[in-house]
Amino acid sequence: MLRAYAEYWRINLQTLLEYRANFVMWFVFTIVYHGVALGALYVTMRQFPSMNGWNFREVFFLYALWMAGHELHNTLFFTVVSVPDYVREGRFDRFLVRPLDTLFQVLTVPQQIVPDGLILAVATLGAATVAAGVRVDWVFVFFVPLVVCGGALIDLGISLAVATCAFWFIRVDTLRWVVMSLEQDFTRYPISIYTRGVRIVLTFVLPFAFMNYFPATYFLQKADTGLHLSPTVGLLTPAIGLAWVGAAYAFWLVGLRHYQGTGS
Amino acid sequence: MRVYILRALWTALYAQNAAPINLPLHSMITYATIAMLMSLILEVDGTRLIREKIREGTIATDLMKPISVPLYFFSDGIGQTLLHALLVVPSLLCALLLVRIDVAPPATFAVFLLAFGVGYGVNFFLNFLMNCIAFWTLETFAAQLIVRWVSDLLSGQIIPLTLFPGIVGRIVFALPFAAIYSTPLLIYVGVIPPGQWAASIAAQVVWLLLFAALSSVVWRAASNRVVIQGG
Repeated sequence: MLRAYAEYWRINLQTLLEYRANFVMWFVFTIVYHGVALGALYVTMRQFPSMNGWNFREVFFLYALWMAGHELHNTLFFTVVSVPDYVREGRFDRFLVRPLDTLFQVLTVPQQIVPDGLILAVATLGAATVAAGVRVDWVFVFFVPLVVCGGALIDLGISLAVATCAFWFIRVDTLRWVVMSLEQDFTRYPISIYTRGVRIVLTFVLPFAFMNYFPATYFLQKADTGLHLSPTVGLLTPAIGLAWVGAAYAFWLVGLRHYQGTGS
Repeated sequence: MRVYILRALWTALYAQNAAPINLPLHSMITYATIAMLMSLILEVDGTRLIREKIREGTIATDLMKPISVPLYFFSDGIGQTLLHALLVVPSLLCALLLVRIDVAPPATFAVFLLAFGVGYGVNFFLNFLMNCIAFWTLETFAAQLIVRWVSDLLSGQIIPLTLFPGIVGRIVFALPFAAIYSTPLLIYVGVIPPGQWAASIAAQVVWLLLFAALSSVVWRAASNRVVIQGG
């Protein structure tokens, strides 16, 4: 299965080299998207230098950490969001009759994946680390990749759970849209600016806060004024990611058993 | 939900920093809330039809009909906008549950609506021009999204343009994007005093006319160059 996955990526990257103009266009696209978000933040924080004790450089690091996890998810696991379409159009049945694991097949649907976001995210994270003056020691080198992977897994767990709902409801566009915009909006600022209920949801229910807020508080050596947890919990991100994916996968298996097809 | 986030954000920012002189917290929340409601209307791309018709080739039959095709697109856009304007009402009620927004005096409100109308026109022609690119390239989706994001930032939809510092601030105010969101909103919250209403709306109208003229030039060039995509 691993060999098949490596082969899948080899072909994917070769396709990418065939369409260079397309790659450049996507790159510009991603730069503008994140550039606008960061630009707005920068201009705002020139006037308002402190956001609950966070300065612009620190919020930049917060953003970069989220971006890295999120873009890693988009590069490796993006096909999960198409599951509702496969279900609706009846294409999902194909996965069921093949001998490999269905989720593995979903993750390897041939399509053009452009790792532009991931490349940019790594560069941004590097820049933000320097800008925020984060101390780069062995803990940083060891944990940052893990935190980024954990963030991607949290993303995957949540999108997989949403996709699984399609086995019952067929169309889950609205639900997906709500969860996606929740993530985009609530990961942008330190969670301490929200009311207590929202903070608890972001920590324990939909753990977006573990994608960037808690790890960032740890690496920036700040106190968590949101829930007064020890900043060390930020290092739990990979574990939480694994737990979420595990739970989502279990839910996925339940959904598969329920799957009846739409008759199309 | 968006309203909740922007209230939390601005409240936190104002709590710990010195407020800018002309924009106290309640004005800022009013600004941000109304900007969001406006975006529900302005983000409707009434001229998307052009792009679709070019791709499907049906634009050819439209051009043969004895009607003004741009006018036809405009009416279609207005129709869609009115439908979305109805959706603003429930959003407005929800927003009012969460935040207190300032109620502008009737005269200010009337001028705001006027400026909003002109801004709608500028936005319409901007979309129109973007969609007309499809006459040449057949696909405009990416370019359009990029322009949309940039214009969100430079038109004052995300943050008031008054926050931009010094020379950058002067530049963004001079750009046509400011006519879309910034002018009506700054009139509403009172940053543009009554004495300058006429001047700011005049600036908007200039942009409107400029864009309209540009659109008609592009349209004429485009109609002579209809390429039908096979199929």
